[in-house]
Amino acid sequence: MTLINIFILLLARAVTFIIKIFALGAGSTWPGHIALAINPHIGREILLQNKIRIVLVVGTNGKTTTSKLLRTILEKNGHKVIKNPQGANLLNGITSSLLSIASLGGKLDADVAIFEVDENMLPLVTAEVTPSAVVFLNLFRDQLDRYGEVDSVASKWQNVLKQLPDTTQVFINGDDPQLFFIGSKLKQKTYYFGLAEKEFTVKQIPHDVDSVYCPICGKKLHYKGISYSHLGDFYCVSCGFKRKDVVDYYDMRFPSGLLGKYNLYNLSAAAIVAKESFLLTNELIEQALDDFSPAFGRQERISYKGKNIFMLLSKNPVGFNQSIETVLQHYKKKKNNVLLILNDRIPDGTDVSWIWDVDFDRLHDFADKIFISGDRVYDMAIRIKYGFDRDVKIENSLGKTIFENVVAYEQLKKAIDHAVSSSGPNNDCIILATYSGMLDARKILVGRQIM
Amino acid sequence: MTSKINLTIGWLYPDLMSTYGDRGNIIVLQKRCLWRGIDCKVRKILIEDDPRLVLESDLFMMGGAQDRQQQIVNRDLVGQKGEYLLKKLNDGIPGLFVCGAYQFLGKYYKAADGKIIKGLSFFDLHTVHRGENVDRCIGNISVQWKNHQLIGFENHGGRTYLADKSQFFAKVIKGYGNNGEDQTEGMIRKNAIGTYLHGPILPKNPEVADFLIEKALEMKYGKRFQSSQLEDKIELTAKKAMISRL
Repeated sequence: MTLINIFILLLARAVTFIIKIFALGAGSTWPGHIALAINPHIGREILLQNKIRIVLVVGTNGKTTTSKLLRTILEKNGHKVIKNPQGANLLNGITSSLLSIASLGGKLDADVAIFEVDENMLPLVTAEVTPSAVVFLNLFRDQLDRYGEVDSVASKWQNVLKQLPDTTQVFINGDDPQLFFIGSKLKQKTYYFGLAEKEFTVKQIPHDVDSVYCPICGKKLHYKGISYSHLGDFYCVSCGFKRKDVVDYYDMRFPSGLLGKYNLYNLSAAAIVAKESFLLTNELIEQALDDFSPAFGRQERISYKGKNIFMLLSKNPVGFNQSIETVLQHYKKKKNNVLLILNDRIPDGTDVSWIWDVDFDRLHDFADKIFISGDRVYDMAIRIKYGFDRDVKIENSLGKTIFENVVAYEQLKKAIDHAVSSSGPNNDCIILATYSGMLDARKILVGRQIM
Repeated sequence: MTSKINLTIGWLYPDLMSTYGDRGNIIVLQKRCLWRGIDCKVRKILIEDDPRLVLESDLFMMGGAQDRQQQIVNRDLVGQKGEYLLKKLNDGIPGLFVCGAYQFLGKYYKAADGKIIKGLSFFDLHTVHRGENVDRCIGNISVQWKNHQLIGFENHGGRTYLADKSQFFAKVIKGYGNNGEDQTEGMIRKNAIGTYLHGPILPKNPEVADFLIEKALEMKYGKRFQSSQLEDKIELTAKKAMISRL
């Protein structure tokens, strides 16, 4: 351990201490930020000094849940696992997590590190960290103002894989045509996970897709069946490109806390890594997940003022559509209030155009009442209004019904309190929120903001 | 036979040119017709479809997409569909062409690598992409169109230059518009609008939606239509909220 790194470790402890003492809140990335400014390679140097296997989890949706599933499986089976803190999926977050557990001599008391990595930051992270496994969950349009279009993200990932050693195991969602194509070009050992045929219940290609044209010849792909968005059993009639060798989710027992097809993918991803990288059996994996509780804000259940809240992070068209699909499957009609929170801060994306790719109309028949809030409450109100088949009269005073069964508030606290107080005693209040909206709501519901 | 007033919207390449929520424009056009008792059918026009569908449309909408999709569409549009589309637009059939679709209707698009991609030359303009090192034009935008202030969100790498600057669709108040230099945004010719405004453009700017509907009816039925007033309070509130933030 070099002197400079020991100094950084001491400094990181001091910074963490100050953040805690003064309750500066979202400070989990600061130690890493400062450390990288002094020594940009400190993360790599600490990791090289330790025998540790690194798993990177990448994708538009499902990173946090998949990482938590895998961590739970491994911890229950005797591994000591490091992770990056919630939402801190850039290099500074990863470095912070290393600094927080390293001894002053640079020793890490762990044998596995699971890092979720921001889509665009993968090249920066792999420049410093050599993973033993990388998991690619999916690639959907998300925050186009920040990430750019899916093709540019895909080409970044492809370049990263070219530079990684042959020994890195690559796990790819084989139901995603664009990711499958990336996998087919690799020198590394590549495993494809996906869903079983019975889950491909969608027959028509839906609207919220990004990759339904053949990556080889450019013709439109055909599907034997689709799970959602562009994920499914695809084939190209023109050049023969098709999904193959995909291992489905083994008919595993599903952790009771998780709903929805998107979580089947997350489970399938975690299970295939546990099996192929850590040589665990299905039985051990299932047992480990018996009492799994979701990551915060991801199908999280919170008790508030005597009522149950069910909160689903919904941050892009596919994510939002899947959240809606999941609550429609899970709940009876016309019983529960639904609160939609739309923010447009940096972590949400500043462009809210994407709400028009979400099928909110399905909520009209489902929700008892729809509540709306967030920085872009009016944009969401327009979107909901256009779900009606007639020109609805508007009372347009906040806090009252702006149209039939729809109530809007600029202030989130008021929206939550009204949505909760008007919920029936045995009914849940369902919150669908963008990232910062979810954090804001959580702060109101549980009294603190975890970051 | 009822002779109810009706419109057919031709939605060009919804599965390829629809990356930025531009489906919202279709929803708004369709619902605003429906709410006024106008029968409105949306006809998706895909690569594999018969080009004659273009001739049966009373109003066009086409959105934006990423490069790979645009190339696929470009190959299709240089054929019969493009020919029919030009004929209709030259006849005065209205259309809304956003971002990538707007660029397509120009003379050419010069890609970052210098490659020239020919457009349909309906609009006398060209677009230049100066490469990944030049910042994209990204952010909320507000423009003046006739006596209306419009708002939207733009996200484009290409810079567009009109041959005749007076043919702009709107004047930039805040944001980049065509190129970030000359304050012009979009272009209007005959009854076709090309614009960089996403948001999508129509939900918060119902004036533009109604303009398109009125023009479509006028062309179809040969007489002027004044569309009945709809309840647009929430739209105008949303617009005001964004203007006050800019």
